[in-house]
Amino acid sequence: MDESKFTQWIQKVMATEEEEISCSECFDLVSEYVDTELAGGEFSGALRQVGHHLNQCRACRDEYELLRDFVIAEENAHDSPGNDSPGSNP
Amino acid sequence: MAILRTNQVWLQELRSSGEVRNAAIEDLRGLLIRAASFTFQRTLGDLANYSPEEIHQLAEDCAQDALIAVLENLPSFRGDSKFTTWAYKFAINISLTMARRERWREISLDQMEDRASEFGLLFADKSTADLDRTILHGEIWEIIAEAIRSELTEKQRLVLKLVIFDEVPMDVVVQWMNSNRNAVYKLLHDARRKLKHKMESHGFGIDEIIDAFRASE
Repeated sequence: MDESKFTQWIQKVMATEEEEISCSECFDLVSEYVDTELAGGEFSGALRQVGHHLNQCRACRDEYELLRDFVIAEENAHDSPGNDSPGSNP
Repeated sequence: MAILRTNQVWLQELRSSGEVRNAAIEDLRGLLIRAASFTFQRTLGDLANYSPEEIHQLAEDCAQDALIAVLENLPSFRGDSKFTTWAYKFAINISLTMARRERWREISLDQMEDRASEFGLLFADKSTADLDRTILHGEIWEIIAEAIRSELTEKQRLVLKLVIFDEVPMDVVVQWMNSNRNAVYKLLHDARRKLKHKMESHGFGIDEIIDAFRASE
């Protein structure tokens, strides 16, 4: 580990909370987290815990970033004329 | 023309029967293939040995697994997000896990344990102007290294070394240890808690740590 990575990691160590949600709980909430973020909403309650988990867990963060970017890409594709994507609109 | 469904329509159609359900499933499968393909486009380095045709087949296979997971988990969908966002995460989870494990397929836990790089830390050589900071960083590292040696359990040390120091993807470690992501995350969380407490017992809070390392950035 080089000094730059150690610097990032030690800050995560010090940001550790006594109670943190599990990866399963994060997976359960990450779609709501992404939609809230993209709608410009504020994170409260359990979604704040998701944000903390994503800062600590690389595996969940990678999935979150892919999900967020894919939703954005699909929305952009949907907004383009002539597409036939079977999307969703609650 | 785009085929738009509300959450309610998705649920109604997937819970119905006949042609209505089949059409909804086919549309959903198409979306999941797109999500899996998007994941593989972003992880091409993990799939260097695969041709574009093979990657497309992998995307279809992962989408099929994701489709099964979505349908099995349909009762747990609470409507707190768009249905499609909720469904995409299954395809991304399955595809990304597959890609990460493919990259590390030829490497075993035994090989990683045999590596000599146990908790190696490479601090760049500093000029004398940075001497105080270098000494402080060294002090912090010594506290951490001693806590890793004396406070962590064998399993906590192992996952810390693999995931943090060797940068092995967590899903690969999960597979090697025949475990699950929750259990490995718990080991890492418990390790971080112990290390944080050790730092605090030496008078280092998060503000001191940030200040100590901000100066070197």
